[in-house]
Amino acid sequence: MTDYLGRRNKIEVKNLTRRFGDLLVLDHINFTVAEGEFLAIVGPTGCGKTTFLNCLSKLIPTSEGDIYVDGEVANPKKHNLAFVFQEPTCLPWRTVRDNVAYGMEVKHFPKDRIEKKLNDILNMVGLADTANLFPNQVSASMMQRIAVSRAFAVDPDLLMMDEPYGQLDIKLRYYLEDELIKLWQTLKSTVLFVTHNIEEAVYVAERILVLSNKPTHIKAEVLVDLPRPRSLIDPKFVEIRKQVTELIRWW
Amino acid sequence: MAYESVKVEKPLSLILLPILSVFTFFSAWELIVDTGIVPSTMLAAPSAVIKLFLIKLTDPNPDGAILAAHAWTSGKEAFIGYLLSLAFGLPLGLLMGWFTVVRGLARPIFELIRPIPPIAWIPLTIFWFGIGIEGKVFIIWLGGVVPCVINAFVGVRMTNPTLIQMARTYGASDWQIFVQLCIPSALPMVFGALQIALVCCWVNLVGAELLAADQGLGYLISMGRRLALPDMVVLGMVCVGFVGAVIGYAIERLECRLLAGIRR
Ligand SMILES: Nc1ncnc2c1ncn2[C@@H]1O[C@H](COP(=O)(O)OP(=O)(O)OP(=O)(O)O)[C@@H](O)[C@H]1O
Ligand SMILES: [Mg+2]
Repeated sequence: MTDYLGRRNKIEVKNLTRRFGDLLVLDHINFTVAEGEFLAIVGPTGCGKTTFLNCLSKLIPTSEGDIYVDGEVANPKKHNLAFVFQEPTCLPWRTVRDNVAYGMEVKHFPKDRIEKKLNDILNMVGLADTANLFPNQVSASMMQRIAVSRAFAVDPDLLMMDEPYGQLDIKLRYYLEDELIKLWQTLKSTVLFVTHNIEEAVYVAERILVLSNKPTHIKAEVLVDLPRPRSLIDPKFVEIRKQVTELIRWW
Repeated sequence: MAYESVKVEKPLSLILLPILSVFTFFSAWELIVDTGIVPSTMLAAPSAVIKLFLIKLTDPNPDGAILAAHAWTSGKEAFIGYLLSLAFGLPLGLLMGWFTVVRGLARPIFELIRPIPPIAWIPLTIFWFGIGIEGKVFIIWLGGVVPCVINAFVGVRMTNPTLIQMARTYGASDWQIFVQLCIPSALPMVFGALQIALVCCWVNLVGAELLAADQGLGYLISMGRRLALPDMVVLGMVCVGFVGAVIGYAIERLECRLLAGIRR
């Protein structure tokens, strides 16, 4: 099983369903993610994007269906899952460096591997200078970069991001999105990026899944076959953005 | 450094007014006793207390020990009881905050014992331990343990749930989350407990000594009552207050030091 670029299927989501009481939020969702793919998921507000990621990351149980990593039911203790939350999740009592190391510590990575990874990643995201500061001494965008670095540092099988840059201003967003792409290209992780910002999705993703309103299913799949770095005013970019916008508008 | 703390000037009135209020308080106290508005058999004037204080520094009569010996005895009892209450109460509270099993087992018993004032245990304590140091340490321990448990418990419960979710997605075990997230999150509350527990211990100490003791500041107060010496009663009270305030101040300084690393 491979995707259109010939990559092996890494993640398989089968019949994912979630109800809250009588409210059916996720309705039998099926899709696969290839190894090393950057997949974006867009959907209207309140359609269940966060619920979707919570199910995938095993934070909440599914009502039906499951997620498989390399053919096995996903298990945070066994697989390397990583999650970047919408709100900052830095540990205030740890320095920037130790915050980035946190996921690796939980997973008992050997000391030398942690050190090496830390040096690589902190340099790549420009956190090296602030490595010894505490989270309250850095800006909001830095906090989110810490969370992103922490996630990439564990070499995740699947990295999930829930609108990580939703609360930051536009200019900063582009900057951080570029940085994200750079991390993804260098570390070759499999990324699932949730957002309700269509332009952001088209800018970062290789493929976009468009979700419907509740009860939520996958309404369409859009390939974003554009070279990088992408330009927001490239006619092809604009065309894809419009296509996705239409898909979300018409339900 | 990305940030610097802003220094706020203390207004002059906050320096002058306390001095004024303390001065007025003691002058008024001295006056009402000296002029006989309150008879000296009911209340000792500050000057009389200071005089007795100077005498008691060296004279063991009539209560059997010099002031330093009383203070030393009380301090020792309080300190041992305090340390034991921290050693027992803080771990229990922390564990109760995170582990459902511990909470389920310990909570009902804790809630039953909590409303009983430690002083109510004094008769039983005398049966068990006599009037030696063990009994008093036990009473003091009882008083200190309650705030330790409550604060540590609440501190753990206040751990940011998103941080716990974050740790879970990395596959952290319950024990890892407890040690790496819950305990650091609870530290400010735990440090708060250090002070509250100390106050509780110190207050209970005096209670315990009023009823069963042969030395200590509480004992000094009860001897003053038995010998009808109001200056001795007041001296005992002042010493209790003063020592308590000094220890409280010391703990606060220590807390500031320790918290500098956490309250970020
Ligand atoms: N614990 C819960 N109990 C009951 N209903 C819930 C619960 N969590 C989510 N829901 C419902 O599920 C739906 C989807 O919520 P969710 O937060 O996943 O949406 P979202 O797409 O992430 O929204 P947003 O764009 O605002 O982030 C909402 O209608 C919400 O009412
Ligand atoms: Mg959401």
